[in-house]
Amino acid sequence: MTALRNRMPLWFVFLVLLSVASIQIEHNPFGLSDLIQRHAQDVSNLLITGPYFYGTAGRDSISAAVIDEGTLQTLKMPWPWDYAAHARVLDALLEYHPKAVVVDFLFVDSRPDLTLPQLIEEIHRYQSEHVPIYFEGGIQLPYGEAALRPELAATGVTILDPTLPVYDGIARQYNFTGKCFGGSRPHDAPCLSLALQVFKDIYPQYPLASLRGKMELVWGTRVAPQNAKWITATDSRGGRRSCQLDIGPLRRVYLAFYDTAAVQNPCPYNAEIPVVSLMEGSDDPDLIALARNRVIFYGGALQGAQDEMYTPVNGLLPSIFVHAMALDNLITYKGRPKQNVITVWGRTLESNAAQIIAIMPVILVLSLLHIRSVRARARGGGQSTHARSVTMEYMIERVIQHLWHWLAFGLGLAVGLLLTLALGLSVANWVGIVFISAELAAMLLIGLPDSIWGYLSHVVREAE
Amino acid sequence: MRQILLTAVIIGCFASMSAPAWSSNDCSAVQGDVVLEARTPQVDLFNDDSGKEKALTLEKEKFPTCAPIVGRAPNMMLQVQIDGKKYWVAPHMVRYRFAGKLPAVCRNLALGANQEKAGATRGLGEGCPQAGASH
Repeated sequence: MTALRNRMPLWFVFLVLLSVASIQIEHNPFGLSDLIQRHAQDVSNLLITGPYFYGTAGRDSISAAVIDEGTLQTLKMPWPWDYAAHARVLDALLEYHPKAVVVDFLFVDSRPDLTLPQLIEEIHRYQSEHVPIYFEGGIQLPYGEAALRPELAATGVTILDPTLPVYDGIARQYNFTGKCFGGSRPHDAPCLSLALQVFKDIYPQYPLASLRGKMELVWGTRVAPQNAKWITATDSRGGRRSCQLDIGPLRRVYLAFYDTAAVQNPCPYNAEIPVVSLMEGSDDPDLIALARNRVIFYGGALQGAQDEMYTPVNGLLPSIFVHAMALDNLITYKGRPKQNVITVWGRTLESNAAQIIAIMPVILVLSLLHIRSVRARARGGGQSTHARSVTMEYMIERVIQHLWHWLAFGLGLAVGLLLTLALGLSVANWVGIVFISAELAAMLLIGLPDSIWGYLSHVVREAE
Repeated sequence: MRQILLTAVIIGCFASMSAPAWSSNDCSAVQGDVVLEARTPQVDLFNDDSGKEKALTLEKEKFPTCAPIVGRAPNMMLQVQIDGKKYWVAPHMVRYRFAGKLPAVCRNLALGANQEKAGATRGLGEGCPQAGASH
């Protein structure tokens, strides 16, 4: 058996390890690979990218004007609002000279409302002031209704697709393309999703990355300072706490793994403009800073409106902030957001294929080292056992085992980081490599390829 | 002496020229709540406090200064008197001054809402035919 093992070729070790890795990556047995990847993505958002590495360029360029229960209560304006009320908010926003406004309400129903002309007039005011205004179109309308009320669509306003992909109930990804709702565009050019279209129009200086696959959202955790000033959160014991979570790095690590809810912040990352202040025409410097020259999302956070999504770092949040975060990613990464695919020399690779290719050098290095150690051991022929004590032998063995695992772990991590930094592949789509590399190292330690080689050689000899 | 006189005349001229402008911005002569001037390029005037029925739209220059506020609605609309007629105006369209202080705008988020979600749709569905219902 030992003699057979000594003749084991490099290509065989490589092939065995590659097969094991490919099965894990491609077939996702018991959903474990997927689970590890998504959990790693969430932990990365909470621990690494969110608090330390994610830039604030997007956060400083986006705000959300959100109608909430407090707004309805303060203004004594019960929901739903008529078109005149929406026109009033939009007019108040226009006064602060925003970069663009995205209306996150669906105006699909042709409800009888005599104030509709006021909203139409408001759209014309935006057009004459050259401030881009976007409306969202209804999707999956079962009776063929127009995506936006025809009277509003007739103003020529841009209609965008607000679809949000849900991954295991959580907003982790964002579409590149969306449904087309008319408008002029180059022949065969795909229609972009909401955040992508807004980014393309408002930030033409940053060319968009290849539109294949999906965007992997990176969630920021350093909440806009203005939110910390006017928004508080009440915990289950009735205590008030600030939106500015003050958790040290070590405690954050502990909580991220053992009590994720405690490290999640219910306050949104992007700044929220109080609609009440907007409607009263406040001269508050904070309000001016939040509205002037920013892209503003105008939407609602209302009980029973069913427009909420879970995020990895906030828990339940109004969906308007998912669109805002997607645009935030695009601005922060200058049009090259993290993706679930990579594009090399014009060819797009799905994340599984990319992972298999990426793990090949790791497997090659591990295989080479394994073959070398097998041959070295064979050359040594057991002399060392006489020279060293049994305890020492055991200790050396353990140290080598640890080093071996850490080497594999490090190699996997290095390849993953390279994929992220050079090709924009999201953490979620390569973190599996790290775990699989460590697992392959363990397989080499227990001598899996050696056993298979020995068995196959034995079978072949028997056949001869 | 001549220089002092000249300086006094110049200062007097400046003071008299800037006086109307100063008073129009400040409206110190008007007591209580007052609309100082228009803020947006056009100001919409409404017949009702809900802002449903638009009466007219005035250009910024034509909107009067120092118009006393004669009424306030819960939705923040302001009632002003212009040319002897009362209109309602949205506060963001004008610069105004209240005698009292505006209440602070705050928001509170309930933690723990992550485990619960409203399982109902707001204000829809009343009167819809129920599948399998007895009526």
